[in-house]
Amino acid sequence: MAGQEDQVQREIHQDWANREYIEVITSSIKKIADFLNSFDMSCRSRLAKINEKLTALERRIEYIEARVTKGETLT
Amino acid sequence: MPLVTRNIEPRHICRHPIPSNIRSELECVTNISLANIIRQLGSLSKYAEDVFGELFVQAGEFAGRVSSLGERVDRLQVKVTQLDPKEEEVSLHGITAKKAFKSSLTQDQQLFTRPSLPMPVQDTYTYCDPPPPLNQLSVYRDDGKEALKFYTDSSYFFDLWKEKMLQDTKDIMKEKRKHRKEKKDHLNQRTLNPRKIKTRKDEWERRKMGEEFVVPKSDLMNSSEGLNGSIGSGEGFNSESLELSTNSYAYDPGSPPPPPGPDELPPPPPDMACSGKACQHAESKPPSPSSPQCFFPEQLPPKSLSSPCTSSPSSTFWFWDSPPPSGFDTPPSPPPFFSSSAPPAPPPPPSMSAIPPPPPMPAGGGPPPPPPPPPPPGPPPPPFESSAPRPPPSGGVTACSAPKPQPEPVSDARSDLLQAIRQGFNLRKVEEQREQEKRDHFGNDVAAILSRRIAVECSDSEDDSSEFGEDDDWSD
Repeated sequence: MAGQEDQVQREIHQDWANREYIEVITSSIKKIADFLNSFDMSCRSRLAKINEKLTALERRIEYIEARVTKGETLT
Repeated sequence: MPLVTRNIEPRHICRHPIPSNIRSELECVTNISLANIIRQLGSLSKYAEDVFGELFVQAGEFAGRVSSLGERVDRLQVKVTQLDPKEEEVSLHGITAKKAFKSSLTQDQQLFTRPSLPMPVQDTYTYCDPPPPLNQLSVYRDDGKEALKFYTDSSYFFDLWKEKMLQDTKDIMKEKRKHRKEKKDHLNQRTLNPRKIKTRKDEWERRKMGEEFVVPKSDLMNSSEGLNGSIGSGEGFNSESLELSTNSYAYDPGSPPPPPGPDELPPPPPDMACSGKACQHAESKPPSPSSPQCFFPEQLPPKSLSSPCTSSPSSTFWFWDSPPPSGFDTPPSPPPFFSSSAPPAPPPPPSMSAIPPPPPMPAGGGPPPPPPPPPPPGPPPPPFESSAPRPPPSGGVTACSAPKPQPEPVSDARSDLLQAIRQGFNLRKVEEQREQEKRDHFGNDVAAILSRRIAVECSDSEDDSSEFGEDDDWSD
């Protein structure tokens, strides 16, 4: 009887260890997912800012080009 | 319920039935969980690759734009160094012959369409049950429409909006044609009445005998005007304003309106007080005060020169009646150099009320008759009128920012659009089908064009003489 209990106890201990191991892995997976989400969001916001700046620059350059060209075709 | 973009696949790692013939169940569960964890890692890596891929594509586009911008900047740099200020085109011909600069404004369109769904969400959609294959029944339909469209149509709202925009453009163009025709008819029938040039001669002649004798002309106006507000307010201000106006006659009418703004408020309260009393007196004795009262509109032109004066009459007018502001509004307008000082005192509210009151106004007052109402209410009514047709189209434009059309962007439609629509008009009686086909060919680049057309229509109310000269040929 005691032997069986030992066996069961050992199994249970082993199970707890396994579960802790699995828990560590799943929480890391969740951290990776969170990191990916936040990275995605921050990248998109930065890219959007760059986009705005680029469009503003493009408009300014268009204007300057129009001012500078004296009737010649824009190369 | 919003769909999650990327769903990592085995959601619950341990919820898996254990096969029955296992002895060590705990180990079994552990192994199952570990296997599911590996599957989760697999889907996670797939989605990570997807995320980075999207970001990479976007960043690549921007890199391309940046490099082209850099090239343009370099070229400009070279050009600017070559610029010689003495060589610049001074000839008028050069200035006028040049095409006016128009910056290309690209509007975002077709943002929320089926093709623009991110890949993971499209995959999710493929997981879902497809709609029933009702399109097999479309063969049996008489009107040629797809049967599935009656069950589910992702482009429904966009098509609806497109139809509405096209209809609106046609309606507005018709209206304008009619307006043009009416105007031309009127012009042909009666001779043009040019605006009378407002001169001060009249006033000065009346005044030269002495200010006390200014009364007689106002009597004429009094009987016809009958505006209580102006009656009351006239009295209080006459003495002050006359002095002020004569003193400040040298006031530069061309100076910008804003400076008078802050000055306008302090004078009103004291003026209100004395005008209030004067008002009561005026109403008690109609005959004698009636003279200065109706003279008041006449006095308004000189008063409007001095900014505090403009403020005081206008402010009191506002307190008493809506017609007086219009009465005040119209007289100062005709003399061109009043336009600068008049607008700041009676801003939009009186100009809006100027629209109903002008009918009573022209009845009275000799010099400020109907011709004045057009110029100052001129600028307000076009935004006022166009605001009426604008809410529906603008509502349509803003509300339908999420169209879902068929995936057929046509890039060459812009230049063909106007021509095609014109041909569409002509074809209306002959063949409706051809018109339909052409519309289908436009595809959905039309979105930008349509929204632009509506914008053009709203501005067309101000200047559409040349454009619609041609329309006479198309009238039905």
